[in-house]
Amino acid sequence: MLTRRLIVCLDVKGGRVVKGTQFVNLRDVGDPVELAARYEAEGADEITFLDISASSEERATLLDVARRTAERLFVPLTIGGGVRTADDVGRALRAGADKVSINSAAVERPEVLTESAWRFGAQCVVASIDAKWDDAAGIFRVYVKGGRAPTDREAVAWARECVRRGAGEILLTSIDRDGARTGYDLPLTRAVADAVDVPVIASGGAGNAEHVRAAIADGHADAALVAGILHDGVTTVGALKRTMADAGLPVR
Amino acid sequence: MTRRVTLFDYGAGNLHSLAKALERAGAAVRVEADPALAVRDTDALVLPGVGAFAAAAERLAPGRDAMRDAVAAGLPTLGICLGMQLLFEGSDEGPGDGLAVIPGRVMRLSARRVPQIGWNAIEPAAATPDPLLAASRLDVAYYANSFVCRPADPAPVIAWSEHEGDRFPAAVRAGAAVGVQFHPEKSSAPGVALIAAFVTSLPPDR
Repeated sequence: MLTRRLIVCLDVKGGRVVKGTQFVNLRDVGDPVELAARYEAEGADEITFLDISASSEERATLLDVARRTAERLFVPLTIGGGVRTADDVGRALRAGADKVSINSAAVERPEVLTESAWRFGAQCVVASIDAKWDDAAGIFRVYVKGGRAPTDREAVAWARECVRRGAGEILLTSIDRDGARTGYDLPLTRAVADAVDVPVIASGGAGNAEHVRAAIADGHADAALVAGILHDGVTTVGALKRTMADAGLPVR
Repeated sequence: MTRRVTLFDYGAGNLHSLAKALERAGAAVRVEADPALAVRDTDALVLPGVGAFAAAAERLAPGRDAMRDAVAAGLPTLGICLGMQLLFEGSDEGPGDGLAVIPGRVMRLSARRVPQIGWNAIEPAAATPDPLLAASRLDVAYYANSFVCRPADPAPVIAWSEHEGDRFPAAVRAGAAVGVQFHPEKSSAPGVALIAAFVTSLPPDR
């Protein structure tokens, strides 16, 4: 039986891991290569680098970081942020990523998912979806450009389309919960996880181990992504995985 | 004694972790895109695990016979994920010929959640596990696959796994050729130990 995964996310800018609120007040947290290796040693099942660089010069640095990380990291590495084309996916894989997540570019041109899956296999194509509850419309609306620009798309239908077009996994982030530490958006997570046949990673809102357990047990996610609470030392990978195991979830 | 290990490069994906794990075990790693050259002047062949079957079979085609003959003649070989699948005759994923070192075909996982992505069990097929598995003590490993090998006969299967009730070979062996459906290079320290066990098992001065 597949175990449920705990994925540690590191925001990378200009070759360094940074932390901030809503992309502002960024402060240096450390070296991505060192931090990734440390989280692997603590029991993280996967590492994700999210490139939040503003410029292409900074972005080029990430491939070098991926290369150096891949030589030291022996759990899967996903890279996301600024990926536009299947060639971009190829470059990231070549540099050391095992999976590549595509967000805004897929909304603008969904064919990029198909092209990437055809060339590299669906298992390495992650559709990254940022969603936010729209009270007036009564839907979870998809946003792009780092959660700043609303689209016409509804999250569940868009997730289904992403899978139909070739995505092998969905990284689902709740904009409402991102950084709030009040728990994952369970209705959103459950709606998407129940609608698609590929693994869904819940993201946004982790404040404690119980939140992680709930995302998987109640939100039906296959994996939970955590960031801030680990970087700030609120909890540890080991403590999170112990809570998952104690709740009867299969973990590594 | 340094063992020479050649990684056959289909041009698809990340070879860094695998190359590094082999080097850590003391291997001198060469990355070779030509399938016929990949089996020359080497102590072992590694077929890495990223990409799609049809694309890989196409890259393999010009040197397929040379590679098949070398593997069948006893060149120690480690096939990972897609690399394991290439040891078989063909795949439902796409057209093209595998090496056909092991009779059987590659078919889609019979499960709702496909691809299977994540950590899953490795259950040795025999009470005395294959030396490679015994040396690494790898009992759970990282998988990322939609297709699995269906050998014509279960004899080559040295370990099994299961996804949503579909039991599939986690590892196979035919002589000196071993295939693993999981990614040892992504399975943390025990996975790296399996790669090291493969390197140290290579006979010197082939």
